[in-house]
Amino acid sequence: MKNFYYKTFQRDSKVYLSRSSSFLGPIVFFLITITLYPLAFGSDEEKLAELASGIIWISILLANLLSHQFIFNEDYKDGSLDLVLASGKSLFIWASIKIFVNWYFSSLPLIFLSLLTSFMLYLPFDAALILALTLFLGTPILSMFGALAGALTLERGNIVGSSIVIPMCLPALILGILAIQSYKNEELFFYIFLLAAFLFFSIPILIASCLGAIRLHFE
Amino acid sequence: MKHLFNQLISFPYFFKIAQISFPYLFLLSIFVILLGVLWGVFFSPVDATQGEVYRIIYLHVPAASVAQSIYYTMVIASITYLIWRIKMASVFMISMAPLGAIFTFLALFTGAVWGQPTWGTWWVWDARLTSTLILLILYLAIISLFSSFDRRASTDQAVSIVVLIGGINLPIIKLSVEWWNTLHQSASITLSGSSIDNEMLIPLLISILGFYLYVTAIGMRRMQIEIIKREISHNWVKEILKEKR
Repeated sequence: MKNFYYKTFQRDSKVYLSRSSSFLGPIVFFLITITLYPLAFGSDEEKLAELASGIIWISILLANLLSHQFIFNEDYKDGSLDLVLASGKSLFIWASIKIFVNWYFSSLPLIFLSLLTSFMLYLPFDAALILALTLFLGTPILSMFGALAGALTLERGNIVGSSIVIPMCLPALILGILAIQSYKNEELFFYIFLLAAFLFFSIPILIASCLGAIRLHFE
Repeated sequence: MKHLFNQLISFPYFFKIAQISFPYLFLLSIFVILLGVLWGVFFSPVDATQGEVYRIIYLHVPAASVAQSIYYTMVIASITYLIWRIKMASVFMISMAPLGAIFTFLALFTGAVWGQPTWGTWWVWDARLTSTLILLILYLAIISLFSSFDRRASTDQAVSIVVLIGGINLPIIKLSVEWWNTLHQSASITLSGSSIDNEMLIPLLISILGFYLYVTAIGMRRMQIEIIKREISHNWVKEILKEKR
């Protein structure tokens, strides 16, 4: 008999892999947004290299908004969320698994893609590595805020959710960009550590508030 | 003390108190604002470097102060609601958020008007301006949450979660924006002392006091309206509405 949490993980992964829209949606969105910037700002090499880190961060932030509605929405609609609540299993671990799987399938591919696209935007290789590192620390924050917004607006559309998520994610964006901009000097570690601190600080708070937001639909 | 608190969080009692105190508080606040602003505009000395332009400080600083204070009081209310489920706390949050948005906008607007002659532009992407803009966006996002649930309790819970998370996040946003860029002069009035001359400071403080009184009065009125909306089917509300007619 396999563990309940392991089964949740397995099932969610299968759902993500079997449905191309939830797996490929963010990737296509990310690539098309990246393409828009050179088209709008011109293909000048220096200008693009200067803007590259910001372009990639913003595109990932926006692509993240697309996927957060999937995290809890379907379980809410088909009633399995009721069963999880009634089963007495730890909702905290369950929600963490859901968010992790969402991050794994919607953000992790984008991090690898960002390495690829940073060459297309003429970002120096060292900076591109730092970019990937900041994204690695930053995208879980985006996913958790997205999960919170998704949990808050289970019943309705997600325009409200998005407008809540973006201002909350600003510290991650700013710290990430500052780290990439100072990739040559010592300050880099200061920003990286701050970003990591922001991540670890937000894990318990955000997941706990996700649970609060989920429960409000069942009161 | 506890008895008084219990009375204040009961809807009918609060309604009665607000009904009695609103006119006095409102008139007092208008009087104090006029006193502070008119004193500031007509009788306080001219600024040595900025000239007459600086006089918009008597609107700008109070508005900015009130805008931030409203958010912090909302955070306290959200904690109160999440822990003790006091309905008055959610009434407070829902009534104050639009006021906060209006005063944040006022602070940004007067800041732009002040910035034009002194900095040469209406808007700069400076740390304080940016974080105030984010505060405005946050207020608007909270207001947009009001109508996204069918049940009243869900709205209250959702609003208080978002207010609380925003309250934890706001200092972090401010700090990170400050690392990002800074141009605005740092706060001139702190608890330990102030860098403003007394002749300018006193009208400014009076004006700030007036703004706080005004927000208290209008906030009470808005809370009364919110209470009536919620308790429309209760007898005590029906009786009050009958009396008014």
